[in-house]
Amino acid sequence: MSGYQHAPATRRVLDSLVPVVCPPEAVELGLVADIVDHVGLTMGALPGRFRGGLIMGLRTYDLGALIWPPGRLRPAHRLAPALAARYFDTWLHGPTPIHKQLALGIRQLIALAHYEQPVIQERMGYRPAQWIEQVKRRRLELYADDIERHARSLIEPDPLPGIAPHPRARTRTKGVA
Amino acid sequence: MVANARPALRQDSRPDGVYTRDDHHGDSVLDADVVIVGSGAGGAALAAELAEGGLDVVVLEEGRYWSTRDFTANASQMIRQMYRDGGATMALGSPPVLYQEGRAVGGSTVVNGGMSWRTPEKILDRWWREAGLDGIRAADMEPYFERVERRIHVRTQDPESIGRDNQLLKIGADAKGWKVIPNLRNQVHCPGSNNCAFGCPTGAKQSALVSYVPRALHFGARLYSDVRVERITRSGKRATGVVGHVVRADGGRGHRLTVRAKLVVSACGAIHSPALLDRSGFRSPSGMVGKNLSLHPNVKLVAIFDEDVRGWEGVHQAYQVREFQDEGLLFAAVNIPPSIIAMTTSHTGRELGELMADYDKMVIAGMLCEDTNTGAVRTVAGQPQAFYQLSDFDADKLKRGCALLAEMMFEAGAKRIMLPFALGDHAGELRGPDDVRRIFADPVPKSSMEVVTVHMMGTARMGSDRTRAVTDGFGLVHDVDRLMVCDASLFPTPIGVNPMETIQALATRAAHHVLENPRRFS
Repeated sequence: MSGYQHAPATRRVLDSLVPVVCPPEAVELGLVADIVDHVGLTMGALPGRFRGGLIMGLRTYDLGALIWPPGRLRPAHRLAPALAARYFDTWLHGPTPIHKQLALGIRQLIALAHYEQPVIQERMGYRPAQWIEQVKRRRLELYADDIERHARSLIEPDPLPGIAPHPRARTRTKGVA
Repeated sequence: MVANARPALRQDSRPDGVYTRDDHHGDSVLDADVVIVGSGAGGAALAAELAEGGLDVVVLEEGRYWSTRDFTANASQMIRQMYRDGGATMALGSPPVLYQEGRAVGGSTVVNGGMSWRTPEKILDRWWREAGLDGIRAADMEPYFERVERRIHVRTQDPESIGRDNQLLKIGADAKGWKVIPNLRNQVHCPGSNNCAFGCPTGAKQSALVSYVPRALHFGARLYSDVRVERITRSGKRATGVVGHVVRADGGRGHRLTVRAKLVVSACGAIHSPALLDRSGFRSPSGMVGKNLSLHPNVKLVAIFDEDVRGWEGVHQAYQVREFQDEGLLFAAVNIPPSIIAMTTSHTGRELGELMADYDKMVIAGMLCEDTNTGAVRTVAGQPQAFYQLSDFDADKLKRGCALLAEMMFEAGAKRIMLPFALGDHAGELRGPDDVRRIFADPVPKSSMEVVTVHMMGTARMGSDRTRAVTDGFGLVHDVDRLMVCDASLFPTPIGVNPMETIQALATRAAHHVLENPRRFS
């Protein structure tokens, strides 16, 4: 983790892209800031040079709108939503692979962040944590003996054929993961 | 400098013998019989066998030590914590191939699907015949496979753990009359939490973290997490140890760690092992270090049904469709969290919302393709960069596989299918079985294919001929003394099935060789 945090200019562009990439619920539920924060977490895990390219690309995307005729000399983050969606589309089906890859990357980061929001998962009925707890408990109830037997087998001596247990072999006792 | 530093353990959940970044208070020098770089399928299995054989083993792992209770369904957090570079690693080519590597104690076994298959006999025969490897045929490998399967508890799933997505896959395959088999998985009564790719939260999946690593520790191995190895040290043609540094919490360089050892093992996977050899100045007379990269290109399609599937309730990949294995194609159902599905679709805005509203009706069907082309790993500024060009032949195979998979899912009752590539200028979407022919009628730009992989192989291939292979049949690097590779880099060819068990069996065999030849390594 790099401790990365968005610069204000980066955050402004990402804020403006959330309504373009995400379903309307992102704005309706007031999730824009949370989604952009989540994008920051993901960007923090990316390799430095990749993250640097992305930041530079976002800046270029923002300023590129100045010379996009329908934008009327406004940067991307100041375009009205419908116009912002059209501008994003010009990158998504862009003139060069670089335009396209950048737009794809941005779309992926924002879509990931949107569907990682707990409130969105709850609305979808996607509750994996509940399921995990339920089956974890059932497993322990039904199969405790087998689980214990295998755990014991993991620390029982079982030398390879023809290899005598070595006198230097030491053993430890504390815990497994 | 502190010789043989054995830092005091903190009183926490770590087993004895695990040292993390918090345990380093200065530069350290360790001595050991064997130092192993990487704690995944190969490194952990080798460590356990050698430690039980009485050798003093040190394992170095770049990732952190996580325990079962750290694993949750928070997909993006798990990816950030346990996947190298947040999962955004890519082999450059057209299309680029996104690949994932685990970076944690236990390596990729912590985040894989838990499929445990022996190397197919025809592949072992090919390695014997073409790479001149003795003792590698099925009968020779049998005891090693058997031993690995005992250790990681390879079984089919308990029936109650199989979810609706996998049932539908089987229904489709049965309706087509295709061969479909229960998957063999390394698990102890896996209850189907379907969180394999983000760490098993029940402890059922027998990743190296909960099988070989505890065994290695029990027999005295020492494991240092949060340590990035920079290079292998050498004296002439002999490997003498490794030099690395502790990775600080912010990713920066911490204290220096040097390990002096009689045997040095690179077990950091098919992307990083060749880079480590290269950074350390080892040149193979074969010229094959980093070459011969194969990666089982994977694509997935999303089939949407009218019924509730709730793919997250039930085991990941309970079955494999083996009807087309001779063509190098395997099919399986692989549930993926909504955030990852949303990432990979071509939809935005309202359309994305409409598609994702059907998330609980989705079956994600994936395909593994045994590839015919090879790529390479090159070292750029000390870091590996993979290059891979999907061949036209393999692209056609992926198209054919998607067509077959789509037919099968429509047979099971799917109402529409999202393809992993565009059809002409439009997103690839099929509305019924009659649409399947569009896969062949419409142009499919290769560059539009969404190809991913978790099976990187072959970049330090083994073989008897030092002019064609990097290592011998036990992973010992030709023309270098006391340097071994122990991961999927060794594979002379792709194997067409999930590689974990092959890696572990080769590691077990290599350990047997070391222990049978103590003079050579003392």
